[in-house]
Amino acid sequence: MTVAAGIGYALIALGPSLSLFVAVISKKPFLILTVLSSTLLWLISLIVLSGIWRAFLPLKSTTWWPFALLIISSVGFQEGLRVLFWKVYKRLEDTLDAFADRVGKPRLFLTDKMQIALAGGLGHGVAHAVFFCLSLLTPAFGPATFYVDRCPQMPFFLISAIIALAFVTIHTFSMVIAFNGYAEGNTTDQYFVPVVHLVAGMVVKSAFARCFCLLSQKFSLLRILFLIVLKNCQLSPETALVVFVWLNVLCHACSF
Amino acid sequence: MKAMAVRPLLLFFFFAQVRLSFSGELSSMESIPDLQESMYMVVDGYPCVRLLNRSGKIGCSNPGREKVVASIRRFRNANDLTQSTAVLVSLDELQDLLHRYRSIHICFRISNDVSFHKNIVGVLVESGAEIRDKLKGFSPTQKFPQAEFAPYPSINYEWNSMVCYQSIGSGIMLKAYDFPVFLLSESSTSMLQEVADKNEKVMNGYTTSVAEFDLVMQTCLPLGGYSVWSSLPPINMSSSYQSKPIILLVASMDSASFFRDKSLGADSPISGLLSLLAAVDALSRVDGWNDLNKQLVFLVLTGEAWGYLGSRRFLHELDMQSDGVSGLNSSLIEMVLEIGSVGKGSSQGVKTFFTHTTGVSSAVNDALDALKRAQDSLKSENIEVLSSNSSNPGIPPSSLMAFLKKNSLTSGIVLEDFDTAFTNKFYHSHLDDMANINSSAVVAAASLIARSLYILASDNNDRHSSVLGAINVNTSLVEELMGCLLSCKPGLSCEMVKNYIAPANVCPSHYVGVVIGEPSFKPYLGYVDDVSRFVWNFLADRTSTPKENASSRCSKDCTNEDEVCIRAEINGKGVCVISTTRYVPAYSTRLMFESGTWNVLPPNSSDSMGSVDPVWTESNWNTIGLRVYTIQNGAYDHLILIGGITVTILAYFMIALARSFITKALKRD
Repeated sequence: MTVAAGIGYALIALGPSLSLFVAVISKKPFLILTVLSSTLLWLISLIVLSGIWRAFLPLKSTTWWPFALLIISSVGFQEGLRVLFWKVYKRLEDTLDAFADRVGKPRLFLTDKMQIALAGGLGHGVAHAVFFCLSLLTPAFGPATFYVDRCPQMPFFLISAIIALAFVTIHTFSMVIAFNGYAEGNTTDQYFVPVVHLVAGMVVKSAFARCFCLLSQKFSLLRILFLIVLKNCQLSPETALVVFVWLNVLCHACSF
Repeated sequence: MKAMAVRPLLLFFFFAQVRLSFSGELSSMESIPDLQESMYMVVDGYPCVRLLNRSGKIGCSNPGREKVVASIRRFRNANDLTQSTAVLVSLDELQDLLHRYRSIHICFRISNDVSFHKNIVGVLVESGAEIRDKLKGFSPTQKFPQAEFAPYPSINYEWNSMVCYQSIGSGIMLKAYDFPVFLLSESSTSMLQEVADKNEKVMNGYTTSVAEFDLVMQTCLPLGGYSVWSSLPPINMSSSYQSKPIILLVASMDSASFFRDKSLGADSPISGLLSLLAAVDALSRVDGWNDLNKQLVFLVLTGEAWGYLGSRRFLHELDMQSDGVSGLNSSLIEMVLEIGSVGKGSSQGVKTFFTHTTGVSSAVNDALDALKRAQDSLKSENIEVLSSNSSNPGIPPSSLMAFLKKNSLTSGIVLEDFDTAFTNKFYHSHLDDMANINSSAVVAAASLIARSLYILASDNNDRHSSVLGAINVNTSLVEELMGCLLSCKPGLSCEMVKNYIAPANVCPSHYVGVVIGEPSFKPYLGYVDDVSRFVWNFLADRTSTPKENASSRCSKDCTNEDEVCIRAEINGKGVCVISTTRYVPAYSTRLMFESGTWNVLPPNSSDSMGSVDPVWTESNWNTIGLRVYTIQNGAYDHLILIGGITVTILAYFMIALARSFITKALKRD
């Protein structure tokens, strides 16, 4: 597989987050701090979860429900942490607004708030990609490649890179939707994010049951999220539907 | 609001696409090292290594310092090779392939293509039980092994009929190959056959399974080891006068093969060694050796397959009267009896052996009579001892040749299971294993030798004939030794061996090895190989005289000059016994170890064997390994890289676009 392929996989997984960082986050130091702190928070949540589950792992079970339990508890914990993150953010927002009032500068705009949410989501996504994809990539720099029996069409590393990419996007946009939901008190949005996270987690656990099926599911989730973001930006629903259908067709075409 | 209406629609599409399926299978990988291990399959292989001599090199090696990586294909499809390939061959295809590489005309061909395909960069040899049954025979060495050492001029005589080529010269083992050759174990053979077949099917190949050969060879060390001699009864060192004539019983314990680590040599020569050990065991139960007129000395030599190193060095040290052979005098050696290959002597219940003699002399005649008498006393065993054909040019390739070259008047007999040519179809090959010999033949030879030696030592005196009938070889001992020295189960971890030494390996290999450090008569035991140490301990134990006082414990040496410490390697079991058993280093007489390095001495006119000695050395290497893994096309790797870069740049543009779009949308508000 060599160095070229290794770098390629790393870029597939983290390239867009790198672009996002360069284009949006790096312009404002506060956003960099937000990215770092949300990364840290997500890693701490992983540590706590692994600490709790250590006693039960490795799960040598042929039935599915221990794995389902694992995923549900992990997702639940992380969503709880998201709410906590939101509360901390709210306090921070109030502090920042008060400070702005004091020095006579404008308060946080909607775009600023969305950017902070985006940075938070990006932090989560990058942490996920690094942990679950980049850490696996060390053998990819050697001469050999690896194919999993259940998905012989693509190398294992490519699959994990694409899934990491999908998760980065899901995490980034989820945070935006969640914060928006909490801000507007929109319960559908509030519940939508944990459900999507859970489903994404379950689908990955199905362990490459069917390669392209899996990837198209990933992309359908992405499509949904992207459209919801666009919706929040008052895109007309007809346009949204057209774009959605078009993306759908494209992805199905790709999977053949 | 229209936006609200869209949401349930989106949700519907979303759930319609989601198909939850749970995996019933578990991944057994728990960490990155596990992933790495499953990506790279390490293959069990026995390599063919590079050996060098004064005039050149033989054996196999990677062409440079790099590992050789090539995709695996079967040999029959090799004619349409477009890229570097590692071919998977069977044993007869191997002979064909290597003969083509060296442009040797062969008697039988597999194909009419005379050229060696330049795209073959590595060779993997299959092994399996069905292969030996299919082959008539396989011997990678010469028609007359080590003909240059023969004490007679007919070097064209074909002792080894399994070698078939028209030009006289070396077999495939004695040629140099600039590509790696590995013999696979049985489990690896089936695995690699699957891999090769998979490679055939996926001919579009953006992936292919490759083999990575690590057989990089460097500088060298001389071949050699440690021979063992023991005397029965033990020689009394304190009495300086030693004048009993000596009957020398010789066997050798090393073999050779195309693949270094798979040299078992069951018939040639280990069957001889087993007979010697069993005979010593039988004779040790006889009392009254001190009263007999002659002295028995048992000599187990190593390095015989690579230029008669053991026998030449032993005779040299005898001439020099070195410490290690004190008590022996070459003028006292009356008769040399060598046990060669005796494992195939059994057919239809009759065990037939042939005596090859050095000429006619009174000592030889006495020995032949003794053998006859022994044969008669073993009537029930159905043993037949015949003289070899008079049309033979002389003695077969054996250590006795070195004795003859040293002193052409030596009286000697070589006991073999063949007459005019080897009956061993797998001489010096990896297929000369336990299935190639018959334990009853070994037992018969041992009984014959034991009784003949007693008859010779007792000067054929009828007074001792009752004792003769009591000399019996322990059959279970022979079978146990066969299991220890010729197979991996139990191998050197068997009871008998573990009783004497702490073996370094479980699977025995009778390749002579290299001389590590300075050769000496009291070597550091870590430099002596397992079989030599076992033979030393066994002989010391069997030829020892029982002590009147309690035996003292020891861990290395004994205070008394006449005593040696056996079982020293087993914690707490070392014991001093009265025995004369010594190590004699075995290495070329053309080499001398001086101030830390080996020097080649110029040829000496008194050492005729030394002047034709090739002086074999073995290459040093770092690691030898064989790995198989799947690789992707170079183009695919670059495609992935481009894909990654594209995704990054595309994302950047989309973000920039989205940002400008959002700014515009906000400005609208």
